Amino acid sequence: MNKGLISGLVLLTIGIVCGLLLSVVNYFTAPKIKEVEDAIKYEALAEFYTLADYDLSEVEGTGDFGTIFILKTKGTENIEALVYTVSAQGYSGASQKIQMLIAVNADLSIEGYKVVSHAESTGFGADIVDNDFNVTQITDLSRFDSVADVTETSNGILTCFTLVSQRVGNDLGGGLSE
Amino acid sequence: MNKKENFFKGIIKENPLFVSLLGMCPSLAVTTSLENAIGMTLGVFFVLVLSNFIISLIMSNSKLADLVKPVRIPVYIVVIATLVTIVEMVMHAYLPSLYFSLGVFIPLIVVNCIILGRAEAFASSNKPLDSVIDGVGMALGYGLAIMTISIFREFLGKGTLTVWGDLQVNLTFIFDFLKIEPIAMFVQPVGAFLTFGLILATITAIANNHKNKLAKKVANNG
Repeated sequence: MNKGLISGLVLLTIGIVCGLLLSVVNYFTAPKIKEVEDAIKYEALAEFYTLADYDLSEVEGTGDFGTIFILKTKGTENIEALVYTVSAQGYSGASQKIQMLIAVNADLSIEGYKVVSHAESTGFGADIVDNDFNVTQITDLSRFDSVADVTETSNGILTCFTLVSQRVGNDLGGGLSE
Repeated sequence: MNKKENFFKGIIKENPLFVSLLGMCPSLAVTTSLENAIGMTLGVFFVLVLSNFIISLIMSNSKLADLVKPVRIPVYIVVIATLVTIVEMVMHAYLPSLYFSLGVFIPLIVVNCIILGRAEAFASSNKPLDSVIDGVGMALGYGLAIMTISIFREFLGKGTLTVWGDLQVNLTFIFDFLKIEPIAMFVQPVGAFLTFGLILATITAIANNHKNKLAKKVANNG
């Protein structure tokens, strides 16, 4: 048989073995990673609202949206706030997007926001995601400034807010089905 | 080369960072705190030792080595990428704060010149045990180098030394005593280059001094 073909088959076999090994590791780590990510989300949610005061439910979003948390007045169907889990591409590419939680009250004011996961560069993008962008004071998103040298990261943050602003009015008006 | 020499060469004589100047980009980026440097060292240690072992195991079998030789670089990349992905998943699950702190530099271990370099230059032509010893020495040499840089940077830039999690040594009293503030520039990228340059210059000066002394000794004896 052609030697090049055999070499290719050897490479394929090594690749399959590595893939199997990764699936085993993923089997054990995936639940723990989900736990870690949920803990971060609920910790952030608790920073925005006293959760005991609301009926909390969740809807799985599509596309760039992850879980959407719905906070209703206890015992009623009145939506008091929506907290979006939304992702956008920063500097680290499409596979490691910046993920944010953005909390919007029923009057369309932003209660809070938090970057829950990212893989931006240490010392550059990673530093700005924890900064206070003061977004609650901004009424016109086009005035949101990029941060020098970390344009891709700040554009990712801006995209998250833009995505939420495009749908929140409709969602609060009853467009969100549980 | 005996096993002891093989082990120690990576720490001093052929230190990957201070002598070979390999893998500088992630090394300078993650050395903002001692904790990051320790985390990166653990990741590189795991990947370097195991990749050296696996690659040496494959290449020490003459029949398999003949088949792998034409595609050896893709094979190295597949093996190293698998090990790095394992490190990434385990860190995300069990050391989330370190995972978020190291960020994109964990997956970048795949293309770290030290790991690929040792695979091609050493593991592919040596026995598995020697390759493991070489990997341990090189990883420790790399770790000592980035920990040294991070100790200077964190101390001068923040006045602290974060060993792990909440275990932090507060040394701001030294700055209070000197009536100055920590120099924040040292935890910025410019501080990384400055610290690295100064350490490299010191090491070169010591090495040159040692060489001159040896040369004088030889001349006197001659």
